[in-house]
Amino acid sequence: MEFDRFFQFSQLLLKDEFVLSYSGYVSEDILEAVGDTLRQRLEDHARDVAQIRNVFSIFVELMQNIIRYGVDGPQPGPDTGEKPSFGIVMVAENGGTMDVIAGNFVSAEEAKGLSDKLAILGSSTPEELRELYRTKLREAPDEKSKGASLGLIEIARRSTLPLSWEVTDTHNGLSFFMIKATV
Amino acid sequence: MDSYVIDATSRTPAIKLDPEAGTLLIAGESYPEDVRSFFNELTAQITNYLATGPASFDVDIKLTYFNSSSARALMELLDQLEDAASSVVVNVNWYCDPDDDITREFAEDIALEVKGATLKILDLDAE
Repeated sequence: MEFDRFFQFSQLLLKDEFVLSYSGYVSEDILEAVGDTLRQRLEDHARDVAQIRNVFSIFVELMQNIIRYGVDGPQPGPDTGEKPSFGIVMVAENGGTMDVIAGNFVSAEEAKGLSDKLAILGSSTPEELRELYRTKLREAPDEKSKGASLGLIEIARRSTLPLSWEVTDTHNGLSFFMIKATV
Repeated sequence: MDSYVIDATSRTPAIKLDPEAGTLLIAGESYPEDVRSFFNELTAQITNYLATGPASFDVDIKLTYFNSSSARALMELLDQLEDAASSVVVNVNWYCDPDDDITREFAEDIALEVKGATLKILDLDAE
């Protein structure tokens, strides 16, 4: 890592709008540690208690989705024998609103499934989202989705704008899925 | 039956089940590492209490935050209380932050399915 590359990276992260970012192996322990840090940072950056609560909730749901969907990434993870989960989560301030953005590797099939779910959420009204949540709550957690849907609906409900997302193909047959929630 | 009391942690709520008084308090935040394990234990304790044949059960829920996995567990908890209401007088007070619409809506949606027990939604005071 040369200094000029590090400098460029630092300049990006040292801007006021950066609240927090984490990249690497994601586990419940990491969620707790990063979550605690996020809470402290939000005290300084957020405009009110409601924003803190919503950003934190979205952060927890996104991290838990990454843990459940667990796909390996380029960085090494601990040798726990469990499926490694690699992800990147970032919280950035944007003139009063906050963006919570997450990225992780998924199979092309999963990317399609996620896109379909998000398209439905994006075109739903708050009342429809509430209804979707209520219905999903009563369903047995779908083994395949591993509960992601309930979490995604919650993320959509706590955001002030419809969720946006993008999928980029990577060279090894996996896709990099990115989702952004704005509060 | 002994009281079931556990302290809050950063990720789990404090629980205080007092069989003498017939009360249960769930207070704090809920996003446990292992939701199943945490709530299965609580369910078992409630089952034990109900097996003693009490006349009533007063439940106070004061959660400032809970994740989606906990939401499902809370719904199942209310199902258990609703079942109990056929033979026990069950009163649930669900305290919600007045600024948190999502949590309030959740409590309201749960309330729609509560017929035997009494469920009141109250304001959680800022502390």
